[in-house]
Amino acid sequence: MHMSGQTAFTGAAKTGPTLISLKDVVVDFATRDRVVRAVDGISLDMPEGGFTALVGPSGCGKSTVLNMVAGLLKPSAGSVTFEGRPVDGPNTRVGYMTQKDTLLPWRTVEDNVGIAFELRCRRSERGDKAARVAEMIERVGLKGFEKHFPSELSGGMRKRAALARMLIYKPSTLLLDEPFGALDAQLRLIMQKELLELVDASGMTVVLVTHDLEEAVSLADKVVVFTSRPGRIRAVRDIPIPRPRDPATLRFTDAFRDHCAALWDELRDEVAAAMATPHA
Amino acid sequence: MSEGARLWTGRAVLLAALLAIWQLGGTFVSERWISSPTAIVGRLADWLARDLFLHLGVTLAEIAAGLAIGVPLGILTGVTLGRLRNVSAVLRPFVVVMNSLPIVALAPLLIMWFGIGMLPKIVLVAFVSFLLLFFNTFAGARAVDEEQLDALTLMGASGVERFRKVVLPGCTAWIMAGLKNAVPYALIGAVIGEMMVSRAGLGHLVSRAGQQFDMTGIYAGLFVLMILGSVLNEAISLAERHLLRWRGPHGA
Repeated sequence: MHMSGQTAFTGAAKTGPTLISLKDVVVDFATRDRVVRAVDGISLDMPEGGFTALVGPSGCGKSTVLNMVAGLLKPSAGSVTFEGRPVDGPNTRVGYMTQKDTLLPWRTVEDNVGIAFELRCRRSERGDKAARVAEMIERVGLKGFEKHFPSELSGGMRKRAALARMLIYKPSTLLLDEPFGALDAQLRLIMQKELLELVDASGMTVVLVTHDLEEAVSLADKVVVFTSRPGRIRAVRDIPIPRPRDPATLRFTDAFRDHCAALWDELRDEVAAAMATPHA
Repeated sequence: MSEGARLWTGRAVLLAALLAIWQLGGTFVSERWISSPTAIVGRLADWLARDLFLHLGVTLAEIAAGLAIGVPLGILTGVTLGRLRNVSAVLRPFVVVMNSLPIVALAPLLIMWFGIGMLPKIVLVAFVSFLLLFFNTFAGARAVDEEQLDALTLMGASGVERFRKVVLPGCTAWIMAGLKNAVPYALIGAVIGEMMVSRAGLGHLVSRAGQQFDMTGIYAGLFVLMILGSVLNEAISLAERHLLRWRGPHGA
């Protein structure tokens, strides 16, 4: 099923060449006593420079899609391509922020943020690396915490450190799995705005997984609604709200409310279905 | 008086009382059996003027040489085998059986192989510390956070870089746990080796005194061993606090 809501507005969304393409993707997970189908026949194209949000009830396979784009998981059937080539190993073109922050607990904030520069494949990068680390730490609001260990930070601060660690080496594509889930509402809005500014300025492609419809609508130019498990695509809706956007004020506009309402109509049944099944 | 001062005053009083009872006890039981604190202090002063540092040096050298061989070998073997799933599955029962062996029971075998000098003690200490570090690092390498590894992989890290930046530091807590066991075991191994047969060392000092029915000498030797053990353990605890300071106050 591949519906496209409000097709009349697609012209406003970014339409670069297709960067990421999923075709008839199926993912089965073997548990101890049976095989669970997590993703059931997903086809989806994401354009270069586009901002795509994946929403759906928990357990619907949204994160599984990110894992496949990152090359950490192979589909059981179907194909995943990146820049026209099949993804057949870790995809080092993407920056991936998982739900759980993967900061190294024995490194200070600045050593975590700068770790990419220690890797051989990025050592040739020019410029003052220490200055870039300091600038990025300031940018995510962690100035003064450079020498702190992750265990000394709050959950939100750890998220910001993880964001800085990913953005510092300027990956062309960002995969974000509930990046701001742990933050309080105000900080969330600030971080969303920061992210949009960074993305708009650099032309990065973003795939965002979130359970928060308002976050999806305020950030993305295409929102994909997943069904409850096994995950299929229930609806795709373009969000032709012009950029730059300010997530803090956008939420008071009529267009924003209309998009949220339309998407909620699609999502409501799926959330109910997910709650009715025991494994969701 | 502050809490700390009260605590230490209490401890000093208890120690003084125990020493007084010991000293007085000698006049009732006979110093031949329990010696006395003053006699022990006298003996220590005597040893200090003669060859205490020679024996202390021999024991310390055995421990240091043994640890220098066993610890790095144990860490490297543990972390390598722990990351190789198939190999570690094959090795598991062997590891469990080796772990059940009281290693110091190997001392007679090693003495027959390597003679009565420092070498069999060094081998014993190396063997004990190798096994303890191996078991702990092996478990640590299997418990490394796969998501941390994935994060580095996506940044473009090579296998060697992942190993150096995630796997090895991720094992630090386990390695320290192994060291905390290995150091007292190293002391035990060296001393037991010396007590069986040797020409020098703190264990030699104690067993020689025993053979001569020299109670004061036994107690003086045990006292030196107690101090040495305390210093070694405290050094390891200090190193651990420094190396694991990132764990925060809750040991997360």
